[in-house]
Amino acid sequence: METVKIKKITALWIVVVLLLFVVSIILGILMRLNQGEIIHHSPVTFYGNMTTHGLTMIGIWFVAGMAGVNYLMQRYVTVSLWPNMTGLIFTAIGVILLWVSTFIGDFHAGWTFLYPLPFKVMWASWATPMFLCSLTVMGVGWLIWSLGMVMQLLKRYSISQVFAWQHFGKNPKVETPPFVLISMITLVGVIASLLAAVVLLILYFMEFFSNSSFVNDALLMKNLTYFFGHTIANEMLYLGLAVLYELFSEVSGRPKWKTTWYIAVSWNLSLVFILTAFFHHLYMDFVQPEGLQIVGQLASYLASLPAAGVTVFSVIIAVYRTKIKWSLTNLLFFIGVAGWVVGGLGALIDATISNNFVLHNTLWVPAHFHTYNVMGNVLFSLAFFHWFAMQFANNNITERFAKTKLGLLILGGAGFLAVFYLGGAESIPRRYSNYPAEFPSAQVLAYVGAIFATVYLIAILFFFLNISKRCVKIMFSSSS
Amino acid sequence: MQTSILILFLILTGLALLVFVYVFMTSKGAKSSGGGIRNALKKRLWFILILFVLLGFTAWVTISKSPYYLFADEAPSQVIHVASMQFAFVLSNNSIDPDSPKGVSSIELPKNELIEFRVTSLDVNHGFAIYDASNRLIAQTQAMPGYVNRLRWKFTEPGIYHILCLEYCGMAHHGMRASITIK
Repeated sequence: METVKIKKITALWIVVVLLLFVVSIILGILMRLNQGEIIHHSPVTFYGNMTTHGLTMIGIWFVAGMAGVNYLMQRYVTVSLWPNMTGLIFTAIGVILLWVSTFIGDFHAGWTFLYPLPFKVMWASWATPMFLCSLTVMGVGWLIWSLGMVMQLLKRYSISQVFAWQHFGKNPKVETPPFVLISMITLVGVIASLLAAVVLLILYFMEFFSNSSFVNDALLMKNLTYFFGHTIANEMLYLGLAVLYELFSEVSGRPKWKTTWYIAVSWNLSLVFILTAFFHHLYMDFVQPEGLQIVGQLASYLASLPAAGVTVFSVIIAVYRTKIKWSLTNLLFFIGVAGWVVGGLGALIDATISNNFVLHNTLWVPAHFHTYNVMGNVLFSLAFFHWFAMQFANNNITERFAKTKLGLLILGGAGFLAVFYLGGAESIPRRYSNYPAEFPSAQVLAYVGAIFATVYLIAILFFFLNISKRCVKIMFSSSS
Repeated sequence: MQTSILILFLILTGLALLVFVYVFMTSKGAKSSGGGIRNALKKRLWFILILFVLLGFTAWVTISKSPYYLFADEAPSQVIHVASMQFAFVLSNNSIDPDSPKGVSSIELPKNELIEFRVTSLDVNHGFAIYDASNRLIAQTQAMPGYVNRLRWKFTEPGIYHILCLEYCGMAHHGMRASITIK
């Protein structure tokens, strides 16, 4: 019975994520059209949309990864429904509070809400506490969900087993599946980032309720913000990778991947690198201790070693000169890995301090993080969504128009991202509602970006209609 | 510098995508499932080692060029204090009183002399980004309340340099600017 309920809640998550994704893409297109001077929104509307777009996107792709991992985790451990339900209810309430604060209250401090901007009220006075409450509600829900999954894993595996430490030696007696290892590593990172968010929000509320008798330290708040924001944005991608490790070989008709010593070592090291790479967000804060700045560059570089040398290399090996059963699911995974690599290259370049000096907060930044989301993480989750829907559908129906959908996705995504990179190389600032006259190419690039984003949206609508139709049936079916 | 960065990115991206397309094509053309890579572990470890050496070399070369070490051994000929606020920059040769900030939004500075900008904020986080006469970003630092970031720069070409805010700071963020004229 619990399994049936988790199937239904996963179907519900998928529909909600895709619906909110479509809305968020439309907000993004409106922003690019405004920057291209095709439409004319007030700066308040633009920056409000920017705040909603950023936070909603991070939220939905995080919960999409969580829902996928939660569903597949049933293969290894008994999974409780209630943490998942808590995550769903708290996310729904959090999104409503967020949207009310931005769309009605005009809150527009950006998804990073860098301290003390939320307190410099340029919107309805109730919007700041409502925005902070929305983050609190979502954070609490996600923390309960993450802790719930960790508890389930620890009921089945010991600490050393769940981190696959026995694989460091030869002939381990117990095998930890890669999915379990990656899920655990990722959940630890998620919990760490959410705890940082808890501290951050407590400090915000302390200042809010102290009538300015308590004032926070801006540098500490910035470190906490990026420890939370960077880590959770990275971990949502790693949740997608856990799903890839579990499903790629399976849908390809190949032997299941097993944990080896180098997979165990690399994923354990990944946790360290991911938790320390966030310092690269503060390179341009020269008062930050130099040692931490260098840690930021080295950790960002080192994080690419297990990613490229283990995960990407494993996917390449699995495909190279190997006859495998290609389907939309593993194609999405494969293209997603390519997108992740390209985004990673852009990120590595930006994580080099001397480059960041001339790239920081230009369009190069949205260029690279959109790459590993738009053409990486989103594709990992779409692969799971499609695979999930396929299990309860006729293959011929759901694979129809696969080439068209993929073609539109790649064309739209590549074009949309290319103009961001060109904009970054042109030194065009990010987060500008309107571009100054010094950047004559900026408007054209924004307009072109909006056109390609629309192509991408059309592809997503194809996926949305196809997958959601099946998921709605699953939600309302009476049998298993 | 940005053009070199873009070219490097395009080359690396092109190579990566070529690998993915090639690997995909080999799979499409494979006749049995027994293909794959021989001595995969050895090749994997070599790949990781090469990547490690390349990244280590890049880190070694680039870290010393970080902005924290720019002109570190020289004494600046002028100090310019910069107070940032929603939505303006105040620049002055003298220390700026946060309660009554006085200064200008446009200054003249000499060519080929080391200038130290002492940048802070009187309200929220801002960016202090210097764009050259061809509107290319050449240097930046953040302006943070309660802290002073010191940015050293030597202007070698005469012309008008624009200062833009590169940290989102509110509804008129995109209109926040100042300028420097180099004679």
